[in-house]
Amino acid sequence: MSAEEWQIIGFTAWVAALSTIVILPFGLGAAWLLARHDWPGKTLFETVITLPLVMPPVATGLLLLTFFGNNGIGGFVHKHLGFRIIFTWRAVLLALAVMSFPLLVRSVRTAFEGVNPRLEQIARTLGAGDLRVFFTISVPLAFRGIVSGMLLAYARALGEFGATVMVAGNIPGKTTTISLAIFESVQDFQDTEAYRLLGVSTVLAFIAVWAGEWVIRRRKS
Amino acid sequence: MALLLKNISVPLASFTLEVDVEIRGRVTAIFGPSGAGKTTLLDLVAGLRPAQSAFIQMDDRILMDTSQRIFVPSRRRGIGYVPQDLALFPHLSVRQNLLYGQKSGDGANPSLTLDRVVEVLEIRSLVERRITDLSGGEKQRVAIARALLSSPRLLLLDEPLASLDLPLRARIIPYLARIRDEFRVPMLYVTHDRFETLALADEMVVLVNGKVAQSGPVQELFNRPASPDVAGALAVETVLKGTIEHVENGLATVAVGPAMLAAVDHGLPPGAHDVYACIRAENVVILKGAGVSNSARNHLPGTIHSLSHDGRLMRVELDCGFPLTALLTRQSCEDMNLAPGDRVTAQVKAQHVHLIAR
Repeated sequence: MSAEEWQIIGFTAWVAALSTIVILPFGLGAAWLLARHDWPGKTLFETVITLPLVMPPVATGLLLLTFFGNNGIGGFVHKHLGFRIIFTWRAVLLALAVMSFPLLVRSVRTAFEGVNPRLEQIARTLGAGDLRVFFTISVPLAFRGIVSGMLLAYARALGEFGATVMVAGNIPGKTTTISLAIFESVQDFQDTEAYRLLGVSTVLAFIAVWAGEWVIRRRKS
Repeated sequence: MALLLKNISVPLASFTLEVDVEIRGRVTAIFGPSGAGKTTLLDLVAGLRPAQSAFIQMDDRILMDTSQRIFVPSRRRGIGYVPQDLALFPHLSVRQNLLYGQKSGDGANPSLTLDRVVEVLEIRSLVERRITDLSGGEKQRVAIARALLSSPRLLLLDEPLASLDLPLRARIIPYLARIRDEFRVPMLYVTHDRFETLALADEMVVLVNGKVAQSGPVQELFNRPASPDVAGALAVETVLKGTIEHVENGLATVAVGPAMLAAVDHGLPPGAHDVYACIRAENVVILKGAGVSNSARNHLPGTIHSLSHDGRLMRVELDCGFPLTALLTRQSCEDMNLAPGDRVTAQVKAQHVHLIAR
């Protein structure tokens, strides 16, 4: 495999992992609010964060491009913070995070809903505050669902194509991910390279799922 | 401890829980049929649910007052709660469960140390185990110990023995009595079991369809239920419709179907005519063969309709012109060789026939 291919693989695995870690606290928070509380605008919020799951990824990408482009938040960020978002690795991160967020929230929400609320209530009668209840009761008991949610999110991020290509382009050495590289190779009739990358993404997906199952299993026994 | 519950109103699916009662007992039983709102009431005291209106005060501290928008969150109430499903934390060990809410230093009850609680409830050998490895009775004691270790000023118990079989129940009751006598933690105890109530409680509140049907000392309620609802909730076995024939020297004669019952008149409203006559099964004595004369006023000839086991006792259903239930020991049944169809005489003292005006 060429140095260029290694770079693509490393970049993809890393940025997908980073995206999963970045969305984790928000995902836990959103899932918790959806699972345990009723508030005005809940349905709207639910719909908005689910949109990336049902809209064409390219459309979501276009939305992000408009929003974070130089005429949107991107311009403001560039002016005041001195860095660009679109067509950089940050745009890849943004696309992956937005696209995988609903998967994380759905999975974690179901897991929180599966925790007997009585346990949380009784923890409160024992003097525990909300944060302590969350981290010592809810999260440990929803652990398996949280891990599967992170796995799903990571897998979704690894394979993201449509939104990424819209906001980050396909800049070799900068924003090219495995999916983009496979597409490009096939376009250029470079089948060998395409199949090599196909093999790599299979291995990555396999490792991610297997590691997740291992964590869940270890936790159970 | 004084717990004041005023203007409580919580709309539930089929009725509204409406409570106005002051609780002062060391152990107060909240007694009532399933679905009477007992758990809802405990949840409210623990601060686990909202109410349309409520005023709750424990000693001199207001815990909830909807009119002033006061709501002390459960973690600050100092009220221990053992719910019906126990809610032990399955991912933590017994020790971690016990220590989860342990209070030390200020505000801690000095007699409620881990060492002492573990000893009194006899769970020392369980401390290093996992929750999932405990039996039903062990889980019960761990859940109670966990609540005690948070140094509660009031302990709420929701049918703590309902999920256990009879012999196990009998073994847990002494532990609860020890908590009452040794740690002196006041308890509010939801149950629909008479034996538990009699064994543990000194006061009781009878809830029927979300309303307090009667409250007061346990013995008084069992002996003098204020209404057929209370009699039913307390499972006073025989509740008969009757009419008062006459009252003489505090002794009422009541016609029940073809039979006549003598009852002590405990202050029926003047002119009361239609009454319910309530007789508890343990107050019925059965004689076989010719009745010897004795002090009981009511001698009711009848036939045995059926016999069935009721815990350690035998429940004997009689037909005395009206249905009458008696609770006897198994030994008595065997000694008298009782069988369905036997002709017997049932005896009930006049003061054990309790009259409620209807």
